[in-house]
Amino acid sequence: MFNMIIAGVGGQGSILASHIFADAAIRASVANGDNDIKVRLGETFGAAMRGGAVASHVKIGSDVFSPFVPEDKSDVVLGLEPLEALRVGVKYIAPGGIVIMNIRKYESVDVKTGQAEYPSISDIIGSFKKLNANVITLDATEIAIKAGTAKAMNVVMLGALAACPKNPVPRKILEEVIKDRVPSKTIEVNLKAFELGFNKVSEDLRK
Amino acid sequence: MNIVASNKTNEKVLLMGNEAIARGAIEGGVEVVTAYPGTPSSEIVETLAEIANDFDYYVEWSINEKVAFDIAAGASILGARSLVVMKNAGLNVAMDTFMTLPYTGIKGGMVVVVADDPGAHYSSNEQDTRFAAVYAEIPCLEPANQQEAKEMTKEAFEISEALELPVFLRSVTRLSQASGDVILGEFKKPFKKIGFNKHWKMPYRWNVYGPPGPVNKHKWIHLQMEKSKEIIEKSKFNTFTLPANTNIGIIASGLGASYTLEAISELGLEGKLAFLKLGFAYPLPEEKLRKILKDLKKLIVIEEGDPVIERQVRSFAQDIFTEIEIFGKERRQILNPYGELNGDCVVKGISKAIGLQLKENQKRVNIKREIQKKVSPRSSTLCAGCPHLGTYWAVKKALQDRKGVHIVNGDIGCYEQGGYGVFSHKINPTDDNSKAYSISSPYEILDTIYVMGSGIGMAMGQSQAGYKDGKILAVAGDSTFFHATLPAVVNAVYTKADITYLVLDNSWTCMTGHQPNPTTGINTTGEKTKVIDISKIAEMMGITCIRVVDPYKVEESIQAIQEALDFKGPSLVILRRECALQVQRREKHKNPQTFIDRDKCTGCKQCLRLGCPAITFDNENKIAGIDSLLCVDCGLCNQICSFGAITLKKGNNYV
Repeated sequence: MFNMIIAGVGGQGSILASHIFADAAIRASVANGDNDIKVRLGETFGAAMRGGAVASHVKIGSDVFSPFVPEDKSDVVLGLEPLEALRVGVKYIAPGGIVIMNIRKYESVDVKTGQAEYPSISDIIGSFKKLNANVITLDATEIAIKAGTAKAMNVVMLGALAACPKNPVPRKILEEVIKDRVPSKTIEVNLKAFELGFNKVSEDLRK
Repeated sequence: MNIVASNKTNEKVLLMGNEAIARGAIEGGVEVVTAYPGTPSSEIVETLAEIANDFDYYVEWSINEKVAFDIAAGASILGARSLVVMKNAGLNVAMDTFMTLPYTGIKGGMVVVVADDPGAHYSSNEQDTRFAAVYAEIPCLEPANQQEAKEMTKEAFEISEALELPVFLRSVTRLSQASGDVILGEFKKPFKKIGFNKHWKMPYRWNVYGPPGPVNKHKWIHLQMEKSKEIIEKSKFNTFTLPANTNIGIIASGLGASYTLEAISELGLEGKLAFLKLGFAYPLPEEKLRKILKDLKKLIVIEEGDPVIERQVRSFAQDIFTEIEIFGKERRQILNPYGELNGDCVVKGISKAIGLQLKENQKRVNIKREIQKKVSPRSSTLCAGCPHLGTYWAVKKALQDRKGVHIVNGDIGCYEQGGYGVFSHKINPTDDNSKAYSISSPYEILDTIYVMGSGIGMAMGQSQAGYKDGKILAVAGDSTFFHATLPAVVNAVYTKADITYLVLDNSWTCMTGHQPNPTTGINTTGEKTKVIDISKIAEMMGITCIRVVDPYKVEESIQAIQEALDFKGPSLVILRRECALQVQRREKHKNPQTFIDRDKCTGCKQCLRLGCPAITFDNENKIAGIDSLLCVDCGLCNQICSFGAITLKKGNNYV
């Protein structure tokens, strides 16, 4: 069984990223002839279109039934935003799991109006270490801008995920689904974003 | 192409629960589809509307759930297969016909899909509408996953026709809004054989009062439900495993069954428990129930929502199996009778019932508790450039100039966020009779929120009770205006209620995903249609003080609201400006031209009080900023900055 949660803020594209990943997982199981493999994708998001906390749970396996990952059972947390990575990670990351985190902050109204504090990035990383999780960080927003648009940050993060040994879905199939699911005019930019995210994490892991 | 319209039979694809229900309807040969949008149900009809041209059914977003229900019923008594979809609260609106239609029954299969919202993620309450199916005495299906959601929808048409009764399909947020692997089936061609026979099989068939009258028609429902027993007993959706030598059993339905299967494996109890998985929440398969209860000492009931099945099981067991201890959400309580289920609480509940001790890593629990303190809340916000931001700024300013404790009654739509508060803002309640509070953001402006259309009614009640401590206002959106407030507006004029009604007209039903409505100019499938002007309707209903204003124009909006507040009697302000997200999607806004003049910004944070997510603040340098990924150049912050520090790059205009 493989469990992952993608955490972010409404509008960052975490829902599209989770659908790409779940769809790719189904195609991979069909390609392998694994008829027993089931895929579930559960989403929690606020009432608003934009700006609220969003978490997408993806589960792959033969004994998967419900759409949500239990506490302390997420193999990977893909954090599109640091505070959201922590919000989800503290509850769900499994001991020994991996947190892949975009370090670009998206401040809440609570923080902007001075009614709440935003923890520092080093504090967030330290917190994950205390939970026995491994942390990979990258400025995925910057990488996405290099690829052509900041909006492709979610796909940079999928590329980063694809570079991790824990990822169960072949890179080729992920790229195939990206082509099918992103707006046709943005396919090239998104594939570039995926590649840059993949390369960044591959290099970091080699070091 | 939308995957729901795919003709690749037997292909395994990823479908959202709502898409699976839409697919099931087409595989069941649906002919008429109606709904009013409401999260978590909206994608069912959104999908069916998107692919309508590929198939031979009629689909519409109706004005409200009652109208949607009546349309589906009208089609069904002619023999057409119909599907009507709504959220939990929507059923309350449709309740009148819903309770009465079973008396005559139907002819063409009629499936009523209601998506409940345990956890109240997108709803005013957690009501369990399975009670309504029991109340109306019609069968109630409850899918456990996306595949079942599709199969059950398809099968529901058959059951409905076999019993000549509407069939209820109850979904929940975590099924409708979640996705899973689904194997596609074949499409069924619609029958297209409609006809009308006033005395079809029975005298005065479609007239509850026609002889032999409502009591006999009620009796007929009971005869039909007696017939349903055979269908329920044989149904592939009710399955059970009964290992030898066990005296502990679980009955679980819907998503509860999915959590239970995972909990059984987590606790290593495979093959050690009797397990009845129910696909029907009503009526129950009594033969299967008898078999499973026979040797049990303990029975655990796990269901999403209220103890609907638990009560039926207890009532069934009380005469025959008096010794069984029944665990669930009441009496022997192992699960909360509020909130939603999850894998962890089901594991804990089962353990508690059977006396298993769960190991807990106390050290990790403590570490998590410490880290949790650092996770600050993220309040939800309106979108950057949302016209409601301008409206609420103007409301705040208009009320600030008047002494008193003013009441702003809210309603349901994106603008309800005007009452969500800032999550990290601590509130100290008092027992003063009337008390005014300062408003620091648009998220604190609405004082009451209940359900669609209740705001204006509440306002009238406050006016008629003689409230004099301040002004009385009500707020609603364009879709809500048509859905639930038309009778209330007439009532206000007729009774001379002294209230100010603000209609926030942004031309779309936004919160549920931008469905069109009578103010949009297009219909459900995108064809052009007449725009119905709210101000003209209000005028014909007899409102004499009507102002129409653009909420992007701050001073004009304040002025219009002031005039309405000064008017004695019912007044109306229509704040009209299309949803900024829809404009963005259509016009592909380029890089924003709004910027902060660093020399002029004093760091006063006035602009932050607008509540726009595109406005940022640099705490180190005490200076505001604009998030270029979000800003749409609406110009609201430019108008509220007292220092002229927010402005446009040369040669550009605000929208």
